[in-house]
Amino acid sequence: MQVGVRSRAEKIRSAAFGYANVVPFVFFALFPFYYMVITSLKNDAELYDLKSVPFLIQTGVITDHYRYLFGKTEFFTWMKNSLIISVVATSVSLVIAILAGYSLARLRFRGVSSFGTAVFITYLVPPTLLFLPLSQVVVWLGLSDTIWSLIVTYPTFLVPFSTWLLMGYFRTIPREVEECALVDGASRIQTLLRIVLPMALPGIVCCTLFGFTLTWNEFTYALTFVSQTANKTAVVGVTADLIRGDIYYWGSLMAGAVVASLPIVIVYVWFLDYYVSGLTAGAVKG
Amino acid sequence: MSAAITRRRFLKGSGIALASASAVALERPPAIAQKRELTLLTFNHFVPASDDELRRQGEAFAKQAGVTVRVDAIQAPQLFAKRAAQVASQSGHDLIVTTAADPFLYEQHLVDMGDLVDHLGGRYGGWYPFARETCLTASGWRAVPWFWVAFVGSYNEAQFKKAGLQPPKTWDDLLKAGKILKKQGNPVGIAISHCTDANITFWSVLWCNGGRVLETDGKTPAINSDKAAQVVEWYKELYRDAMEPEVLSWDNASNNRFLLSGKGSWIHNPISPYVAAVEKKLPIADEINHHNSPGGPGGIHSATGVNSLGIWKFSKNIALAKDFIKFLFLKENYNAFIAAGSAFNQPPVKQFGEHPIWASNPKYAMLPKEAEYVHEQGWPAKPNAAVQLIVVNFILPDIVAKAINGMPTKRALAWGEDQVKLAVQGKLETKGKS
Amino acid sequence: MAVGQRLLLIVGLVAYPFAMAIYFSLSDYWVGSPGRFIGLQNFRDVLGNEIFRQTVQNSFVFAGIAVALKTVLGIWLAMLLFRPLRFKRLVRAAVLLPWVIPTALSTLAWGWMFDSLYSVVNWTAIHLGIVSPPGPNWLGMPAYAMTAVITVNVWRGLPFFAITVLAGLVSIPREYYEAAEVDGAGSWGGFRHVTLPLLKPVLAVVVLFSTIFTFSDFNIVQVLTRGGPVNTTHLFATLAYQVGLSGGNLGQGAAISLFLFPMLAAIVFVQLRYIRRE
Repeated sequence: MQVGVRSRAEKIRSAAFGYANVVPFVFFALFPFYYMVITSLKNDAELYDLKSVPFLIQTGVITDHYRYLFGKTEFFTWMKNSLIISVVATSVSLVIAILAGYSLARLRFRGVSSFGTAVFITYLVPPTLLFLPLSQVVVWLGLSDTIWSLIVTYPTFLVPFSTWLLMGYFRTIPREVEECALVDGASRIQTLLRIVLPMALPGIVCCTLFGFTLTWNEFTYALTFVSQTANKTAVVGVTADLIRGDIYYWGSLMAGAVVASLPIVIVYVWFLDYYVSGLTAGAVKG
Repeated sequence: MSAAITRRRFLKGSGIALASASAVALERPPAIAQKRELTLLTFNHFVPASDDELRRQGEAFAKQAGVTVRVDAIQAPQLFAKRAAQVASQSGHDLIVTTAADPFLYEQHLVDMGDLVDHLGGRYGGWYPFARETCLTASGWRAVPWFWVAFVGSYNEAQFKKAGLQPPKTWDDLLKAGKILKKQGNPVGIAISHCTDANITFWSVLWCNGGRVLETDGKTPAINSDKAAQVVEWYKELYRDAMEPEVLSWDNASNNRFLLSGKGSWIHNPISPYVAAVEKKLPIADEINHHNSPGGPGGIHSATGVNSLGIWKFSKNIALAKDFIKFLFLKENYNAFIAAGSAFNQPPVKQFGEHPIWASNPKYAMLPKEAEYVHEQGWPAKPNAAVQLIVVNFILPDIVAKAINGMPTKRALAWGEDQVKLAVQGKLETKGKS
Repeated sequence: MAVGQRLLLIVGLVAYPFAMAIYFSLSDYWVGSPGRFIGLQNFRDVLGNEIFRQTVQNSFVFAGIAVALKTVLGIWLAMLLFRPLRFKRLVRAAVLLPWVIPTALSTLAWGWMFDSLYSVVNWTAIHLGIVSPPGPNWLGMPAYAMTAVITVNVWRGLPFFAITVLAGLVSIPREYYEAAEVDGAGSWGGFRHVTLPLLKPVLAVVVLFSTIFTFSDFNIVQVLTRGGPVNTTHLFATLAYQVGLSGGNLGQGAAISLFLFPMLAAIVFVQLRYIRRE
């Protein structure tokens, strides 16, 4: 009896501890987003009114900024481009990265290590420098001013990123698990597909999400390789149309930020839920 | 089928499976590909209607010439990366907007425009002096001046009236007025930070005081002078008695907000705050007015950025591009361009200065006069590579900021002189040939 | 796809740009005129410039503090998210958001939050009576400006840490924890002796990435301060862009962005060997 009570009290205390710690994080993460949302719904007169309360909307919610974004710019075209580019570039990179990451984590060839290091080291050169020679390559490939120029170049930073991240996850999987399978006569590829991938799934999901976001937010290549409005990505398009010299269309810019991130977050959470929660549910007993 | 297309096809066919498959799939139908396309890259205009008008003229020209015309507009600061990439890959737009040092930096890659400049100048009453200053390199005209935007005094008339003040005619007037206005709760504002406006205003004040950064030869530093020291002292006093510390943090948009919030009484800026206030129907629009950029013992001088049009040598439509520039300069077209730009787009040729828009609103009346005062940054030197480095490294506002933060004026100027020397050095090593 | 073609693609997309980038830094290349080889002259030149030396210092302060904060807070947050929580989804969404919002736009919002006139941070602090008006001059004073850019970097980078570490936690087989529980290890003991060692490979990679990301951060400073006040927030990437592209001196710009390259390459080399050996 008494033991039960104590453990219940402990449970409550532990939960309270958890929430008390999570709340500041959530607040820190969410407040700027909240601020973007209300800025996107506020009229300009209130935005520029020094006497108004900055985190409220006092003179009525308006949708003009969204209407401007959707009606006066090619926002949906840009979103579509961003989506195609990100999905294709991330998927291609992921496949390469799984193979490369696994080889680096497990295989013991002489060349593997130095190749891996070389791949990573090219990653140390920032895109703000690489875009110049890459723009030549894009022209040689006959891809300039198309979304394919981005689909082809994005893997150059995605593959190193994903490979090394995945390698880390592959290494967390105890070697014995795999060795059992290998002893049972499974081939390397079979072991990878049947044993390693399912176990590394959280890492793969993670890697996909972050890789996707890197392409989604990429700016330098998207700016320099593509010129026509119809082929621009969301970030480049939005800033090009809504920041005009010293005039910022604050409401519409923030509306763009909200629309370009909210659907993605929902998909992400669904993903995370599906894999991470399923696994965590039983992992820790309260 | 032209040689270029064959090469492209060949490269595409030459193996890169993913790339080539997709590129071929995306290729435009041949019928359209046959039509020549003329492309122009510019910065997005402060006033969207100006971009719309430019595109309309593009279409009109396209119809007339039997081609297609595409106008792409991006944020001005991003043009740096874009130009560099286009030159590196020798491909991109036919026409490109150039500002400041661009005609000099890209001298080897831009088409000579001398014939066009003579033609347009002869036809429209001649060019203002700044045209020559900005686009004429050692090897000739590398761009055609297109339009420029004046930096004027933008002030809150109601606050000036309340304090019993007239708009300042000189920078010293501004200091005197600013002291009174700050006590009234309406400080003035000049950016002393890493932004374009901070640069522009410093050049203007320095020139009006008779100072310069580089001698006319473009390589002898002249910043460490008594006149410059006076300017720094003036800034210090203005900062202390007429401004607030926020000017140290400003970007290009901050002074607009400062004026529009009703707090600030005076800024040195294009007329964008007023135009934005009218467009957004902010009541403060009625209180804002403009006056000519202030002067000083050295006369009235005001810095600006002149926007010009250049044609890349790699363009396959050079003659067509020149025709398009002529088309943009047809009187009815240029007038429509000025009108669409809400008085922002000021002409570099004298005849277009007589546009009805300046008279349509008394708040614009002073704008044409500015043409006599403006120079490109760097003047009396040409806006060469050294000037570009001084400008983009924000050396001038940083001299002031260092002095404000307590560094003795002389030392701040000596620091600035060092930086100017470094900029000139970098330039000489690489650009000695021009 | 034949081996030769694949090789061509890798050479074209990776090796060639890499080699050119290195070459830029060793030549007097300007945006409008290809230069000749000048050895390490650019590196000597930038070292001789006070603005660059300031930038080196800024970069280490910025990256050092930001990575440390992200590591500690990130592990902490991952542990919190690992516990059963109500509103789990909402919490995860909230935590992920900063990473997902396009940086170019989210930093604008932060700029607005630190604005000299309309800062919501100052407004709140003033109305709570914590500071007297007008409040800290966030982007105009060196220490505040550095605090501001670090804050935004941590805000944006934290999800990467938290979620990757969380995924690492999830992939640790449950039996290990159970074994620890049986052994009577407390939660701190469990963390030190079970979680941390198993997380090491993931952590090593994540810290490595984060260090590189942070050292090469561009957007936050470019939007918030453009290196100001008086170059006290300039980072390698922003100064390199300023000199190399805006200024046109590509050679020096390249030297600035590659200045840490030898050091980072060495760190990468050592750390990668360590991860593989482990």
